[in-house]
Amino acid sequence: MEATKPIDRRKFLKITGISGAMFAIGFDALAVDLNEDSIVKAMMAEDFVDGTALNPFVIISEEGPVTIMATIPELGQGINQGIPAIIAEELELDLDAVNIVKSSATRKYGRQSIGGSRNTRSLYMPMRKLGAATREVLIQAAANKWGIATERCYAESGSVRDKETKRYFKYSDLVKDAAQLEMPKEPKLKARKDFTVIGQPLKRPDLALKVSGQADYGMDAQPEGLLFATIERCPTLQGKLESYDQDAAMSVKGVVKVMEVTRNVYGNENVGVAVVAESYFAATQGRKKLNIKWDNAEFSQVSSEQLFTQMKDLGLKEDGYEHVEKGELKALANLPDGHITRVARYDQPYLSHTCMEPMNATVHVKADGTCEVWAPSQSPQVQRQFAKLLGIPENEAEDKIKVHLPYLGGGFGRRSMNDSLLECLQLSKAMTKPVKLIWSREDDTTQGPFRQGTVHLMRADFDENKKPVAFQHKMVSQAITTQGRPSRGRLPFEVMEGINTHYEFEAFSSRFVEFKSQIPIHWWRSVFASTNGFAHEGFIDEVAIEAGEDPLQFRKDRLKSEPRFVKVLERLEKESGWNNKLPDNEGKGVAIVESFGTIVAHALFLKKEDGKISIPRVVSVVDCGVYINPNQVEAQTESNIVYGLTAAMKDPISFKNGAAEQANFDTYRMLRMNESPKSIEVHIMENDEAPGGMGEPGLPPIAPALANAVYNLTGKRIRSLPFDLQKV
Amino acid sequence: MAKFTLSINQRDYEVDADPQTPLLWVIRDEVGLTGTKYGCGIAQCGACTIHLNGNPIRSCSIPVAAASGQKLTTIEGLSESADHPVQKAWIEAQVPQCGYCQSGQIMSAVALLNRNPKPTDEDIDNAMSGNICRCGTYTRIRKAIHHASKEISNGSN
Repeated sequence: MEATKPIDRRKFLKITGISGAMFAIGFDALAVDLNEDSIVKAMMAEDFVDGTALNPFVIISEEGPVTIMATIPELGQGINQGIPAIIAEELELDLDAVNIVKSSATRKYGRQSIGGSRNTRSLYMPMRKLGAATREVLIQAAANKWGIATERCYAESGSVRDKETKRYFKYSDLVKDAAQLEMPKEPKLKARKDFTVIGQPLKRPDLALKVSGQADYGMDAQPEGLLFATIERCPTLQGKLESYDQDAAMSVKGVVKVMEVTRNVYGNENVGVAVVAESYFAATQGRKKLNIKWDNAEFSQVSSEQLFTQMKDLGLKEDGYEHVEKGELKALANLPDGHITRVARYDQPYLSHTCMEPMNATVHVKADGTCEVWAPSQSPQVQRQFAKLLGIPENEAEDKIKVHLPYLGGGFGRRSMNDSLLECLQLSKAMTKPVKLIWSREDDTTQGPFRQGTVHLMRADFDENKKPVAFQHKMVSQAITTQGRPSRGRLPFEVMEGINTHYEFEAFSSRFVEFKSQIPIHWWRSVFASTNGFAHEGFIDEVAIEAGEDPLQFRKDRLKSEPRFVKVLERLEKESGWNNKLPDNEGKGVAIVESFGTIVAHALFLKKEDGKISIPRVVSVVDCGVYINPNQVEAQTESNIVYGLTAAMKDPISFKNGAAEQANFDTYRMLRMNESPKSIEVHIMENDEAPGGMGEPGLPPIAPALANAVYNLTGKRIRSLPFDLQKV
Repeated sequence: MAKFTLSINQRDYEVDADPQTPLLWVIRDEVGLTGTKYGCGIAQCGACTIHLNGNPIRSCSIPVAAASGQKLTTIEGLSESADHPVQKAWIEAQVPQCGYCQSGQIMSAVALLNRNPKPTDEDIDNAMSGNICRCGTYTRIRKAIHHASKEISNGSN
């Protein structure tokens, strides 16, 4: 246990006094804004927190306020409040009375990386225990002061009370004593019925900053003497630098350095040319004069057409790796006359993540051997990696390398790769000056890594009564975890996410055929569940209709072994009015996918008016087990719906002559307000199941719900994404 | 390089910049107002929206020279403490997620309500479809604009 340094407490109070606890979360930005002195700017937010740290997350001031550190990168999912809310619950604190302070990235907070819709799931129990243990040492401290048994004491609203006399101590009166006590390893957790924070609709504290331009994103870092950089990279992703005109770029006023920078993506090292200047505009002007020649003969042959033909052929030729096999597929050969076999091929394109905030990084390698980093990253704890590259001994990495954790302008998986930070480190190291590297939107769209492209070979067999008896799903794609190395000879763990193996058929098979390509791919929101869910749920729809059954009823019937799925579908049936007859110019589609521990089903409605098709309504039912903040469950579901519809209806990343053909929002178009659903209703299941993820699970079922609705409206089956809703 | 006087949020700033520099970068990096965001550089996403003489413009696509002497308003100039009716409506509807596009969304919404205090859904779609949100907050934005519209008309009655 250690007390935080009492530095500049006056200043801290002054700042929080101006803005209130609501603003403490964006302290970095405020400190810069107040412009008091350069020392303030260099400080981390937690340096200003006054009080005694009972653990790295909970700091209690003797003057009253309780601070809970928000340590997980906030990219829009509300985690800056979500995790502190879990601690506050067990610590018996009203969240309104807590200062939530955005932390830096440093080892003392444990793992700070985000991805896989993992954080609430993995931190729910550890943070409850941490909150409960903190509560118990405060209770023990009070009991000791009174000389009574702890059983006579209880915690309530930031104080410990004596059940018999109603006397009480505030936590601030107890913190010095509590700091001397050992945290219990197995504290008693609250019963769920006693929760007052978890499960309540909470308003997010970061939004006041985000509606006033005060939230500090990586792009907004402005250390003293900052230089700006842009990098020209090989347009064909893989290629060798042959020559460039350094003098021409240097001749642009404001350009201070032109140098080669290496980017490593899954073992492929590619050299680009950076232009560093006093302003970003000067850097971009210098970049235009580089006149780079690339040797990319080998890769310049690659095209989407060729990639997808190869994947399809591979799928037809190879058996691939077994995922799940049930029943006797061999018996299919002996099905009686009159049986039907339906085969279909689904495919989905490569995509870009396209965070609203393009990739960027700010690094300051200082002459005194220390380093300051602004890391807009889903994996911001870069100290050890940076230390190695800077020649700093590992045991000094945390002291010498300070990492600011800005707000992230989207992540979607892209920001779990730190390529821009490592590029920027090379620049700042060479110059010993603060450098901000900005990827242009075009760099961001064209350079990858991308969402995988996939091909799905589907087959269903029906008996002579049109009853479906066998279902097969063979997926062909690159795998993320085997890039830059030979296949492992077994099923990569990530590739079958989102394939629902619970559907009851006499025989079932899901398999994966691994495709190798040098196109770099990376975790993209919901990853393989995004692609598998579309093919699987689209084809389930085909099978249901072939069997002459209602698609929603068919799913309920075939998922009987999984009551959570059935309950979700029943709720969806009711909330969406699924069984109401629609006019001829309207259509409906349903899909259900489990991913990242959460089941989501959508019903999507289409309407055709004056020759134009719109999406008036999407109804969603979410079973994510215990949830922290229902507002965030709704918001993340809305977000996943729009993100997934963009992927389904707008542009692919396609390759021609080895390069991505789309570069900016004019060619890589996003769903806009006039195209998005007019109404999205989210319904949350109430149960005591373990918390599931929410950042991604709303995405996989939306594209199949849309395609199934298109079939319902028009009779046209969509098996290839993206498609133009106005041209079906 | 040339010297310009920019009037931003009713304050004058002297800046020294290449006349062709997009206004966005001058506002962010010379003046230091970072609430206005870079998203695309080609006036396609609206993240850089500010007001020029009250009209919404994409600051990434006009050179600083063209803004000299004009009255500019950025997100920071909308209110002292995030309490413009549109900002309040944004918090009420819990609109932002990552928040990166929201300065631009709000500046577009304020401009819409200034010229059309009671917009229909269709008016809102027309005015706001130039602003991209990758977090997909569109339904909440629509709700927040209606909410702000009510607040503004109640206030003026």
